[in-house]
Amino acid sequence: MERGLSAEEAQFRQEMREFFTTKVPQEIRDKVAAGEELTKEDLATSHKILNEHGCAVPQWPVEWGGQDWSDLQRYIWLDEMQLANVPAPLPFNANMIGPVIATFGSEEMKKRFLPPTAALDIWWCQGFSEPESGSDLASLRTTAVRDGDEYVVNGQKTWTTLGQHADWIFNLVRTDPNAPKQQQGISMLLIDMKTPGVTVRPIQLIDGGHEVNEVFFENVRVPADQLVGEENRGWDYAKFLLGNERVGVAPTGWIKRKLASAKEYAASVAAGDGTLLDDPLVSARIAELECDLAALELTVLRVAANSHGGKPDPASSILKLRGSELQQDVLELIADIAGPSSLAWSDADGSEVPEWAHNATPVYLNFRKASIYGGSNEVQRGVISSGILGLKG
Amino acid sequence: MDFKFTDEQDSLREAARDAIGRNRTEPVPGDAVHNEKMWQALAELGALGLPFPEDAGGMGAGPIEAMIVAAELGRVGARTAYADTLMAVTLLGQDELAGAAMEGSRLVVPALYEPMRAWSPEPARVTTDGSALEGVREPVPFAAAAPAVVTTARGDDGIAVYAIESPTFDGARLDLAGQSARHVGGDAHLRQALNLGTLVLAGEALGAMESALGLTVEYLKSRKQFGVPLMKFQTLTQRAADMYTSLELARSAIYFGAMSLAEDPEDDLTISRMKVITGKAGKHIGQEAIQLHGGIGMTAEYAVGHYTARLTEIEHSLGDTRYHLGRLAARVKDYGALDLVG
Ligand SMILES: Cc1cc2nc3c(=O)[nH]c(=O)nc-3n(C[C@H](O)[C@H](O)[C@H](O)COP(=O)(O)OP(=O)(O)OC[C@H]3O[C@@H](n4cnc5c(N)ncnc54)[C@H](O)[C@@H]3O)c2cc1C
Repeated sequence: MERGLSAEEAQFRQEMREFFTTKVPQEIRDKVAAGEELTKEDLATSHKILNEHGCAVPQWPVEWGGQDWSDLQRYIWLDEMQLANVPAPLPFNANMIGPVIATFGSEEMKKRFLPPTAALDIWWCQGFSEPESGSDLASLRTTAVRDGDEYVVNGQKTWTTLGQHADWIFNLVRTDPNAPKQQQGISMLLIDMKTPGVTVRPIQLIDGGHEVNEVFFENVRVPADQLVGEENRGWDYAKFLLGNERVGVAPTGWIKRKLASAKEYAASVAAGDGTLLDDPLVSARIAELECDLAALELTVLRVAANSHGGKPDPASSILKLRGSELQQDVLELIADIAGPSSLAWSDADGSEVPEWAHNATPVYLNFRKASIYGGSNEVQRGVISSGILGLKG
Repeated sequence: MDFKFTDEQDSLREAARDAIGRNRTEPVPGDAVHNEKMWQALAELGALGLPFPEDAGGMGAGPIEAMIVAAELGRVGARTAYADTLMAVTLLGQDELAGAAMEGSRLVVPALYEPMRAWSPEPARVTTDGSALEGVREPVPFAAAAPAVVTTARGDDGIAVYAIESPTFDGARLDLAGQSARHVGGDAHLRQALNLGTLVLAGEALGAMESALGLTVEYLKSRKQFGVPLMKFQTLTQRAADMYTSLELARSAIYFGAMSLAEDPEDDLTISRMKVITGKAGKHIGQEAIQLHGGIGMTAEYAVGHYTARLTEIEHSLGDTRYHLGRLAARVKDYGALDLVG
């Protein structure tokens, strides 16, 4: 056991802090802080700066642009990034399809896709969920039928995050409808969104924003060399994709940043002769959330230190479960701090209410998603109870 | 002690449900939009003057009836200035604007929030020298519909109430300097207005919680995953049971709040307790309703998320759970055992 950072680690942290706070435009980081929706350009600008400095895909193999960092270094990298309000590198590229191609793709596929994926010259989106297949992903119905050198794809995906910006989609498709188990008939295909027969339709969320879409496939012809790995092994790749990351599952740096902001916000809301930060009901709530955060962050550090080399690990379910809950709790706190100043969402000229307070309710509502996507919290509890505790009812 | 509604109250509920159902529009994310058709239907129903005496132009019913109408608004997710207007009329007392507000010929709302100041029933930086007003109110509800406003200001003789017939807004912000304001009177009705407004909001919350739970129950029956309806998963049905429990506890508190105000319009202790109970139930039910739906609960096209949004808005109106708990906490030392019916 050893409590603190070594001299080298502290030095690394200093470098990361300096990089994130000086190289990524302040304007983008301010938008993140205020909970504003980022444009495609904002996300791309930030991602590209990170990539130019080796900070977009450090978890990838070194030959494809990764860094030979320890888990603790990766934790520090993420923590500093989140503390500085830097938008994460596009997760579909950096955490999802990149590692899958690097692990299971052919050499040609790696050469073709990994460099532009790291550089965000290809913007990926994730085509897993379907209207009838959410938690029960293995029941998916989008089909791909082999026809010569091509697959012909038909079906529908939904909840496709930022599909409106995407160049390519990595899609789970059913290639063997007769497989003995549903999971064994699924493949992963890489599809250019410009292929004839692909249609994207927006879905509006309760915060009024447009971040998810429906994607329709009508006789879409996909070259067979865009199959990832082997046919009918797509489920394994999907499981790898969803479970390979433990360091980044719980956004502790983000939560920490928001809690620090919550204190500033509370100090800026007048209450009686002082501010809301003087109200013990507010400060006690902040203190309690800091206890919850400490327990989570220490757990991240504890389990990061004995990673399973890329294998899905049930421990990451704890991190997803608590991470999403704390994200939601801190946003609820911020909306409560804004109080009546949160009531008008729109920020007209002349408003004396700052941006963060106008955004507090829509952001709070938006993050109800965090306990639904990426395996809902009910699914995570299922993994913990059956996978860890052996309770298989 | 009797929680049953009278036949008249049941008929009022039916009439309100019918009128509101015919005039509602699909909910949209963001700031509430005034629906003039709905407003006229409410006026025709007498809803806007419901709790006020007949000799003052009202219907001579009471807070229970207002709560009944509010629950119907909440049930279908109709966001109106109902609570606002009943508060404004209470504050206006004998002022002529009250009549116009009850008839629905003029939309009148109270402007009681100060930007970046936590809720307080008393103005802090809104002041008066006896004639002109100084200070800023923000956000003013339904400002986009150019309402008349009633506001309070702190002067040498305490807090006074002012009416502004044709205010000039800047978005939802109202700079009181230079607005032509009419002195209405002192703050004798302020507490009653806030109690009534809080009750009406809680009534709306009750309707919204009922609907959010109702949708969730239906969804658990109809949505299939893993080849079975979601109701096969006990972890979900047990949570629906918890939601129902929260709903029924809140219902009791809200009905009790209405009965209490019918007897004593000044009873803010009961109203604070009701707001805390409603606030906690609203968060619980609103959050779980989305969660148990999964992704569909996050969409603007589906109703459930709008109920959660409205419950959140109600939580932050007229004092949140924290504010009312603080008010209750300051009084716990004044009594021993809780006595509700004495
Ligand atoms: C904002 C947002 C962005 C998303 N982005 C993407 C994306 O980019 N790409 C993509 O492919 N998908 C995406 N998703 C989809 C997401 O992964 C699904 O919403 C999720 O898998 C849940 O599926 P569902 O919405 O169909 O809910 P359902 O599976 O129908 O679940 C409904 C409820 O039942 C519960 N439940 C289901 N099964 C069980 C069980 N066996 N035991 C106990 N409880 C259960 C769920 O936890 C939930 O509470 C996104 C979703 C959202 C909301």
